Amino acid sequence: MSTRVGFVLRRVLLTIPVLFAMSIFVFLMIRLVPGDPVQTMLGIYATPDRVATIRSELGFDRPLTDQYLMWIGNALHGNLGQDFISHVPLTDLLAQRLPVTLELTALSMILALGLGIPLGVVGAVGPRWAVVFADLLVVGGVSIPSFWLGIMLVLLFAGVLHVLPPAGYVPITTDVLENLRYMILPVLALGAAQLVYILRTTKAAMLTVLGSPYVIFLRAKGISERRIVFVHALRNAAIPIVTVVGIQFGALLGGAIIIESLFAVPGVGQLVVNAIFQRNYPVVQGGVLVIAVIFILVNLTTDLIYGALDPRISGTS
Amino acid sequence: MASSVGTAHQRLGASHAPPLRRLFRQLREPGGVEIFIGGGILAVLVIATVLAPLLVSQDPNAIDALRVLGPPNHAHPFGSDAEGRDVLVRILYSYRVSLSVAVGSTLAAMALSVPLGLLAGYAGGWTDTLLMRPVDSLQAFPALLLAIALIAIIGPGSIVVLLSIAIVHSPILARVIRASVLITREQPYVISARARGRSALGIMFLHVLPNSLGPTLAQASILTAFAIQFQAALSFVGLGTQPPTPELGLMLYDGRDVFTIAPWVEIYPGLALAIAALGFILLGNGISRRLEAGRQR
Amino acid sequence: MSASLLEIRDVSVSFLSDGGFVSAVSNVTLDVAAGEIIGIVGESGCGKTTLAMAVMGLLPSSARIEGEIWFRGTNLFGLSESERRKFRGEQIAMVFQDPLSSLDPSFSVGSQVAETIRTHRRLRRGDARRQALGLLREVGIPSADVRFDDPPHKFSGGMRQRVVIAASIANDPALLLADEPTTALDVTIQAQILVLLRDLATRHNTTIILIAHDFGVVAELCDRVAVMYAGQLIEVAPVANIFEHPLHPYTKALLAAMPSVERPPGTLQVIQGQVPDLSAPPPGCRFAPRCAYRMDQCQETPISVTESPGHEVACWLYPPGMPPVDQTTG
Repeated sequence: MSTRVGFVLRRVLLTIPVLFAMSIFVFLMIRLVPGDPVQTMLGIYATPDRVATIRSELGFDRPLTDQYLMWIGNALHGNLGQDFISHVPLTDLLAQRLPVTLELTALSMILALGLGIPLGVVGAVGPRWAVVFADLLVVGGVSIPSFWLGIMLVLLFAGVLHVLPPAGYVPITTDVLENLRYMILPVLALGAAQLVYILRTTKAAMLTVLGSPYVIFLRAKGISERRIVFVHALRNAAIPIVTVVGIQFGALLGGAIIIESLFAVPGVGQLVVNAIFQRNYPVVQGGVLVIAVIFILVNLTTDLIYGALDPRISGTS
Repeated sequence: MASSVGTAHQRLGASHAPPLRRLFRQLREPGGVEIFIGGGILAVLVIATVLAPLLVSQDPNAIDALRVLGPPNHAHPFGSDAEGRDVLVRILYSYRVSLSVAVGSTLAAMALSVPLGLLAGYAGGWTDTLLMRPVDSLQAFPALLLAIALIAIIGPGSIVVLLSIAIVHSPILARVIRASVLITREQPYVISARARGRSALGIMFLHVLPNSLGPTLAQASILTAFAIQFQAALSFVGLGTQPPTPELGLMLYDGRDVFTIAPWVEIYPGLALAIAALGFILLGNGISRRLEAGRQR
Repeated sequence: MSASLLEIRDVSVSFLSDGGFVSAVSNVTLDVAAGEIIGIVGESGCGKTTLAMAVMGLLPSSARIEGEIWFRGTNLFGLSESERRKFRGEQIAMVFQDPLSSLDPSFSVGSQVAETIRTHRRLRRGDARRQALGLLREVGIPSADVRFDDPPHKFSGGMRQRVVIAASIANDPALLLADEPTTALDVTIQAQILVLLRDLATRHNTTIILIAHDFGVVAELCDRVAVMYAGQLIEVAPVANIFEHPLHPYTKALLAAMPSVERPPGTLQVIQGQVPDLSAPPPGCRFAPRCAYRMDQCQETPISVTESPGHEVACWLYPPGMPPVDQTTG
């Protein structure tokens, strides 16, 4: 089907300039620091000699375009520079921390979808009390800051009940169960916020679809209400749900950064935040770049999924 | 078939009703309850915040060493924190920062996005594409990441946070107002204004803008709720408002270490955040519902 | 005379709305014989769609229904929802006005036809698909085997309506309700769809109730015509009788208001007045306020009278007991 192939191709091709523009932005980020970035990085250790050495080491003395090409060239070869303070290559740091962040975000999204969609369906077609409950959940959930929820959860489960650890992380390679035990609260805190949006969108989409004229014809054909809800309505509601997932992913990443700091989860977010305090610009730059790339790729994926679902683009299901 | 004569009678009767009756009628309209509760919450918060120095005589930073981590009592209704400071007083003063940053960011975002969206929507064509393309790509960026990037460059502080949030929220508002304008500009009264030879600028400000603001205000209200949480989150990780300025996010950070022995230090600021956000969300939802109902009529 | 397939007995439907109860259908009694094609004609809002929905059982829960509807010896109103559902799409089917809003945009047209089949019969996917394909061919979809998997938006309005019809007749229903099936279509396509309906009816021996708002459509297809006004059934007659000897003043006015090529320009008749407010309908005959022949008697609901074989009218101009009107003068 040429429309489908064309669609995919166009989406992928459009992503490239976005990646490009974003890389320029991240690159310029450091150069925009008021004053001399190198001096700021060295802080109290700044002597004219040191500054000059570091500056040529990091290539700050070259023309801007050269710097950018160097940086991008290196990046594409897998070299993102070093942690300014520890001299650990950035790629190593990221290799350690990226899986953690990915695990946190993936689990949160699974929670949000796994609970949000069913609750949304219930909120649309369920009994009256369930509908009211879903509405209240949405209004409350959107108001409550996720990190406060996280803190409250820690208070309850770690502080009072002592069943879960308040912070920290155990790699999944070391011990799967322990890893999950440490991840429960962060995932709950992060996922709860997303859950609320997915619930709301699912409910609204289901209601819209169920109010559509073609549902009347479906009933006229004698199709059971259950099939109408779970086959037809859900299928048509999937499109706005996927759209919202794509939009929410940005918020998810942002929230992950905060939650990581809160729960001392050693992910990329925590890395970046600490690096900002340390004026560790190469790390900030690399970290932001990686997070942004992930974000753009996930957006691309949701766009493609959306294209597969929308019959106008893909054909049919 | 519905009776249009009957409804008209109802409406005519309404304007002659006593004010209290009119209020109740407004409440029953779609969105009425939400606007009332949301607006009410915000009104209370704003008044309490503005009048803070008058309401409480204490300095938010005043340390009472005898009352470190004291539980709520008469003198300190919300208890005291690790430094002996009164939590309630701190919350009131924190609201000043939190609310002004949040509302300020929304106002700044509107200042950026409204002219942009208005122009893009009204002019259409190349202007529209030219203006909205960069806006769209900006929207593609995760909000917090953008804020963090900006803060990394400029350095932490309330103002930076305000600006970052404003920049992040502008694309959303620009889209909303542009969508509104697209509808409004096809309306009969706009077309007749054009036919009468009114200048484009005149039409935009006199006719299009007032009628497009509704959805934008609803969205702005909701974005303000996010802004409140956003800036608290940034302050929480240390990238926003800096101590010793009292701020809700900072209070949440401080409260973490002591919540097992003094949970009120953590609970009340969190509730304060949630309530403020709730107010804006209810208000925004109410306005949305009211607009929708009006459109269906 | 064939046995009655459908017996509508004194059915009234009202809806709860802001202004109170709206009486959409008022005491309608009608028999539909097996194998006939009967049209129901009336202006928008006269209750014809509501009546059809009552037969189907698709009225919203806010509707209050009185009376009985007997289908093949079963009182439909006495059935539970799940029992009712068994009839829908199998013995009684309905086609709606706008084909675009009848089809799920996310599923292929073929699957939507097959779905109707599999809802009521246990068939394997492949068999259902084969049958659905046959139906699509029967309703005249070109290259049906290729287009089976196409989504609805790839079809024109007329083609979509054919798909809808295919889905409706998939299980060989005894009764097909067609609610203004051609109103949303181009004039040239309208005739095609009507012809299709008639052919299908003949071939499958389906009884059709055709709802329309103009007589032209009805003249094409129907054996009998029922005229409704403001929820009341005011006249029923064989098609020829209705055109040549309309009895009810409203029917006459409606026919006179029809634009036609034969009529000289400038003679288009307008019916004075407006349709009554159904939340507070006038007592008795609801057309009376606009009727040139109204009498005090009209405040009581007229009794239906058979003026000639198959021709009934509910109007005090033809009170019960009076000898039949001389059809030659009308």
